[in-house]
Amino acid sequence: MSDWTPLARGAEHDPDEVAAREARHGILIDLLGAYVDRELPPETAAQVEAHLVGCTRCRRELAVQQAMRERLAAEPSVGASSALRDRIAAAVAVTPLPAPPPRRPRLAPRTLAIAASALLLLALAAIFVWRAAGDAPAVVRVEQASSVPLLAEVLADYRRVTAGDLPGRARDLAAVRAAVPFEVEPLQAPELRLVAAWTATIDGEPSAVLAYRAGDRVLLQYLVPEAHLFRSPAMRAAIGGGHVVTAQDGAQGLAAWPLPSAGSILVGDLPAAQLARLVAVPTPLAPRVTRGAE
Amino acid sequence: MTSLADRHARFDALVLPHLDRLFAFAMRRADARVDAEDAVQDACVRAWVAFDELRDPASVRAWLYRILRSVLAESAERQARRRQLVDITRLDAEHDALVGGDADVVFEEVAARLTGEEVRAALRQIPDDFALAVELHDMDGFKYQEIAEIVGVPIGTVMSRISRGRRLLAGAVLASRAAASRDAASSAAPRGPRGGAR
Repeated sequence: MSDWTPLARGAEHDPDEVAAREARHGILIDLLGAYVDRELPPETAAQVEAHLVGCTRCRRELAVQQAMRERLAAEPSVGASSALRDRIAAAVAVTPLPAPPPRRPRLAPRTLAIAASALLLLALAAIFVWRAAGDAPAVVRVEQASSVPLLAEVLADYRRVTAGDLPGRARDLAAVRAAVPFEVEPLQAPELRLVAAWTATIDGEPSAVLAYRAGDRVLLQYLVPEAHLFRSPAMRAAIGGGHVVTAQDGAQGLAAWPLPSAGSILVGDLPAAQLARLVAVPTPLAPRVTRGAE
Repeated sequence: MTSLADRHARFDALVLPHLDRLFAFAMRRADARVDAEDAVQDACVRAWVAFDELRDPASVRAWLYRILRSVLAESAERQARRRQLVDITRLDAEHDALVGGDADVVFEEVAARLTGEEVRAALRQIPDDFALAVELHDMDGFKYQEIAEIVGVPIGTVMSRISRGRRLLAGAVLASRAAASRDAASSAAPRGPRGGAR
């Protein structure tokens, strides 16, 4: 950025000079806003001023920048209402503060040794139990989501909801938890971010719906009463055998699995196998419904 | 360790003076007043929870805008994009005609006479990254470095977005005026006889 001065006499007919000047315009035009706003270093500002002397186009551009800035600055500002201030004060008053990090008690070396031994034993036991039951929960694929009424209804609701604005917000999670008779805990996969929560009626049963952002996609997790998940014989057989059930319907994949007090179905525009990998199943699933329960 | 009452007092003293500005910012970026109010409330609650993270009280305004912008971005993710974006090349062309000398327009006069609705419409017509940078500087009074911290981009990007944003706004204003003139001319033109040839 060293030569923004006007062209020398006769240089306006030199194609190389004209091309170089146009290239400099390309750089300069992005600096004119900062020049108007006095955000350029003095040396750069001086170079811009030197160029402006001989450049009508850039002087016009400068006037546009100044005019637009002045008009926007003159736009009157709307104020927050007293009702909003009251709402905020009330919301802040009832918002619990995060608990301070717990202080670590100082343990005697002997206590530490006992604790370490206990942890080791626990870890060995966990590995034994895990191996005995097999590796990570296997996935059972249902050929057609429509063959399981619950999955079909979840899929239809997903398509309806994601065609417009999501009906809830992330902060509604507490209200959703209070509205359904089972625990509602969002998934903890690092690639998922909870963006909304609301309640719905799925197949006549009260359900909680959690919406997550996963990259550029929205995934919905439907939490239904536990018994509802096992209503279909196909689901009973699959999930009861310790599996995550997946299904694919066009672009939409589904993964269903049981939670301690609810049934969970994750649905989104992703391959079902990919959804199954987002499902955190801490221990191999134990059969929850026996044939005799039918 | 500060008491809860001290925390409330500090929060009120540092945050509440900025509520009007925060609300105005949210109003420009939300579809409805109720959405703007929800966003500001969400942002204030988040600020309350994270208040201990505010190390420098002098930077509280930029910190609050950063939180509010995050809330608004999450809200925008949930809602269909409602900005009425106009083809950016068309806005560039209007602007180029203005500064290239082909247009017989004194833009300072045009800009000074713009109504509030015309300003808001122009802001809705340009890409959000540009509108945001221009608004934060020209309407909210932030310096470039503060905008870089709020938006999370290098200061050179802020510089470029503000310059380009104002150019696109000028293009949007001129495009709207040209469209309005064409509409007025067509409605004033004499109509042909009724029941003309088929």
